[in-house]
Amino acid sequence: MNPETERTWIINGEKMSVTFPPGRRLLDVLREDLKLTGTKEGCGEGECGACTVIVDGELIVSCLLAAGQVPDGAEIMTVEGLEKTEGGRLLQASYVEKGAAQCGFCIPGMIMSSYHLLSRGEPLSQPIIREAHAGNICRCTGYEKIMEAVSAAAEHWPKSEAKS
Amino acid sequence: MSVSLRCVEASDLLLPGSLPEALAMMAEPEPPTPLAGGTDLMVQCEAGARKPPARLLSLKQLPELKGIDEADDTIRIGAGATHWQIRNHADVKVGLPGLVEAVSMVGGRQIQTMGTIGGSLANGSPAGDIAPYLLIADAVVEVASIEGTRQIPIRNFLIDYRKIDLKPNELIVAVTCKVLPEGAKEGWRKLGPRAAQAISKIMGNYRGKIVDGVIESFAVSLGSVAPTAIRLPEVEAFLVGKPLSEETIAEAERLASASVKPISDIRSTAEYRKWVAGRLVRGFLTSFTKGNEGSEGSEGCES
Ligand SMILES: Cc1cc2nc3c(=O)[nH]c(=O)nc-3n(C[C@H](O)[C@H](O)[C@H](O)COP(=O)(O)OP(=O)(O)OC[C@H]3O[C@@H](n4cnc5c(N)ncnc54)[C@H](O)[C@@H]3O)c2cc1C
Ligand code: FES
Ligand code: FES
Repeated sequence: MNPETERTWIINGEKMSVTFPPGRRLLDVLREDLKLTGTKEGCGEGECGACTVIVDGELIVSCLLAAGQVPDGAEIMTVEGLEKTEGGRLLQASYVEKGAAQCGFCIPGMIMSSYHLLSRGEPLSQPIIREAHAGNICRCTGYEKIMEAVSAAAEHWPKSEAKS
Repeated sequence: MSVSLRCVEASDLLLPGSLPEALAMMAEPEPPTPLAGGTDLMVQCEAGARKPPARLLSLKQLPELKGIDEADDTIRIGAGATHWQIRNHADVKVGLPGLVEAVSMVGGRQIQTMGTIGGSLANGSPAGDIAPYLLIADAVVEVASIEGTRQIPIRNFLIDYRKIDLKPNELIVAVTCKVLPEGAKEGWRKLGPRAAQAISKIMGNYRGKIVDGVIESFAVSLGSVAPTAIRLPEVEAFLVGKPLSEETIAEAERLASASVKPISDIRSTAEYRKWVAGRLVRGFLTSFTKGNEGSEGSEGCES
């Protein structure tokens, strides 16, 4: 029972192979097996969004995904991959400039939701921006500065940054 | 770093490539537990509310569960369709607008991307936001095993508290809903502590048609007031053929409050839920007099 599973994924643009029990949460594979500790665990129950990453273009919470369900060749983007993209760097700078982070614990997940939203290149509005972050809880900022940071980044979003 | 076993880490994971292959695995003497988006199952296992199954059968990769197809006056939604896919599907937007509203309120973006309609149904929670809609859309649940397929009307599928008409060797394959008839209107309302990521205190859906001020048809369902989501047959029978007047609305409100037998729990009291059941029905009927489109929407409301 429960043999180890091997997967090769493209994580933040790099090919990585990893072996794990298939029921292991993607969060644990990222943090413990691959030492990508930028992704955080808050609740472990899908409520807080601190563990948010992008898998094959889809925004997911990695605490609720059995890593064995992620197929070979999948493209995964974590907070560590942000700075490799123009849009990601823009977002980071915007979060900093607007003072959008306080304790910072929610930010690795929050900013993945921001990146996912903006990189889709769809029309934006304040309600859309807010709703896109509804799955991310922040206990510090009251969200206003985060919304400002996202709106500011949206204005200068690089045209080339299509799908994540 | 020392690693403790989390959630379903000790479980085996089966990854069938097709539905027939999955059904063959489900036919084994000790069938595996289906795993779709994991937004209920993983949470229950992590929280210790459920023993991690020895074997999980992943449904995510099955092509047969993914489609959404329109035919005549119905839309068939594969059990593996996610809330996000349903919400953005062109035919569903037109034919089942109340479903779009209901799935739009499930969790945040991540949960909508992961969670499936099949998982919502199989989870069988009386607080689920999808079953009440399926009741007013006269949905039929399609379940399959290696022995064949069964088509079960949603009313019969929801048996009791967390009890559904699904055998251990069966999978939910699809849900087929009747599209909103010409000239009819449907809407929805959820009351919870806040808009996103909150379990409902009470929620309801309606689908009705009113011609020249007379109620031609009216279906209404409520969630979180009984062990399963329910229709309100007494209210519906009373309304058909009546003029849409204040007297009619007041009597429907009274009947709705009287006909539900909710419980008190951590999220709300029985008295509050009875009262709100009546108010929801009043609101649904009043929306016709105002002539506004579609849904009443969601409301944060503390009890
Ligand atoms: C943060 C958060 C917020 C949420 N908010 C809401 C909300 O507002 N409203 C709401 O209604 N729900 C909500 N939910 C609950 C949940 O998202 C839904 O019930 C969800 O759609 C379940 O689908 P799933 O694919 O994730 O199911 P899973 O967790 O994969 O499975 C759930 C159960 O169904 C079984 N199962 C799944 N698919 C099938 C199938 N095809 N055939 C047979 N059995 C099957 C599994 O064995 C399991 O027992 C929320 C969950 C979280 C974590
Ligand atoms: S840790 Fe995954 S959502 Fe909170
Ligand atoms: S900055 Fe502290 S939780 Fe968001």
